[in-house]
Amino acid sequence: MSEQNRPQPLAESISALMDNQASELELQRILKASEQDAEVKAAWSRYQIASSLIRGEQAPVIGSDFAARISAAIDAEEALVEQPAPAAKKAQQGWFYQLGRVALVASVAGGMIIGVGTTQVVTQVASNTTVAPASVDSAVNLPSGINSPAINTRTVAVQTGYETRPQENRRVMFQPRQAGTTVSDEEVSRYVNQMIKAHSDNAAMNSGQGVLPYARVIITDEE
Amino acid sequence: MPKISLWLSSCLFVAITASAQDQTSSAPTAAVSETPASASIPSVQALLSKMSQDATRINYRGSFTYQNQTSIELQSFRVEHWLENGVEHDRLLFLNGPERLIVRDGQPVDCKAMGDKLLQGSFSQMGKTLIQMDQLYQFEIRGRERIAGRWSRVLQVIPKDPYRYGYFLSIDEDTGLVLKSWLVDENARPLERYQFIALELNPDIAQLKAQVLPRQHRAIADVTPCNPTEQTKPSAWQVAWVPPGFVFAGQRKLATGQAMLMYTDGLTTFSIFLEATTNFVPEGVGKRGATLANMSRLVVKDVVYRVSVVGEIPVAAAAKIAQNITGQ
Repeated sequence: MSEQNRPQPLAESISALMDNQASELELQRILKASEQDAEVKAAWSRYQIASSLIRGEQAPVIGSDFAARISAAIDAEEALVEQPAPAAKKAQQGWFYQLGRVALVASVAGGMIIGVGTTQVVTQVASNTTVAPASVDSAVNLPSGINSPAINTRTVAVQTGYETRPQENRRVMFQPRQAGTTVSDEEVSRYVNQMIKAHSDNAAMNSGQGVLPYARVIITDEE
Repeated sequence: MPKISLWLSSCLFVAITASAQDQTSSAPTAAVSETPASASIPSVQALLSKMSQDATRINYRGSFTYQNQTSIELQSFRVEHWLENGVEHDRLLFLNGPERLIVRDGQPVDCKAMGDKLLQGSFSQMGKTLIQMDQLYQFEIRGRERIAGRWSRVLQVIPKDPYRYGYFLSIDEDTGLVLKSWLVDENARPLERYQFIALELNPDIAQLKAQVLPRQHRAIADVTPCNPTEQTKPSAWQVAWVPPGFVFAGQRKLATGQAMLMYTDGLTTFSIFLEATTNFVPEGVGKRGATLANMSRLVVKDVVYRVSVVGEIPVAAAAKIAQNITGQ
């Protein structure tokens, strides 16, 4: 359907990009077209899903707003203003240095496309060429939710003597409403695990997956 | 020619998703004939019905693995399921660590729990319009996948609001059994995953019953009596808000003295636990694997109650449910 409507050369360019054989020019053209034409993004997404299906992989799911959120995160990030280099050095670098920067930005753009996978091409990257790519460190603003540590969480370890080492899977992470609450870890953990067991009955009956939810149950010594 | 092969493969994909996108006519016939073992594509509704209905009616013995977000450890289980006189029997044996067993007997196979009714699209609440699962989730059939030596349909389930998680379900084409199940959060990170590695259909039931099972660590699963729609709301409590599409699925009094209220939207469940207490009530959120427990206190007529909302739901949903519980 849509494949037929699109100018053939661009379809070929996308195909080439999929095969990692696109030229710099083709890449630029696709990025530019994808800004204006949602169909180009959609085609890219379809090609990715198709190729992963062919390879027998489970196509990764990424929410449709994933790219938008990355864009938002990039926007939110403080633009690193390039420090003016000493004049002497600048003269040495000349146009070749500039070309290197373009190549770097282009490769970052390419990396983003591959990373984003089945979603849209991140157009933001292409239009942000004035922003130098930020170095990856812990201070970088990640899209919300990614790798964010659970704040004020502590691990409740329960030793019941089943395992030679603390059983990871019976841990209950507890985040008290008020910091400094003195609660017995044991008590909270036992209480939550007991409720999970009772809840498994509801889950087994009402989630269409048979007894699988019972794998969540911890059997304790008392039983 | 990689470009041509890619072109063909995209056609193939179009053919696979043809039913959803209405593109059958534009897909070249040459590509259609390449579709492997061209089993007809079931509708989402047919798949969900099969999952909830057929899988309970077969006898099987299988092994599956389970892993969740808070533990990298891979656990494995053996599950046995058989019918006798119209009643379901399940044995879940922990294959890692000390021998532990969960025994679940007594669910009548004809029992249509609320979750089944929702999945089969047969639930309507006195005059109200049928609750459509597709108003809560977006369903997409994502082709076929071979798991535990069997062919399954991959169903991707994307929630339409922030009050529930998404799923990847690989449903056995033959039996309707869920061979693989991933629960994923809003960033598509898996919270927990189940996957069968082996499945044997119609095992010798006499042999299953005769086998010696571990006695030391054994838990008997509570089975709620089959009258899920006897009441349409809890008898002693007012739950003023639940996420859209969740319906009351029954209540029970536990041996611990807690009242338990059950809710489901067909795929996702949560339970509310309430008990009067004179002790200090720890408030906060407990989490293990994909399950969280939002614990709070509630005072009704000078009595302090410990209220917990437990389920595989996001914390925003659990907290909001808890805030809207009142006594009657």
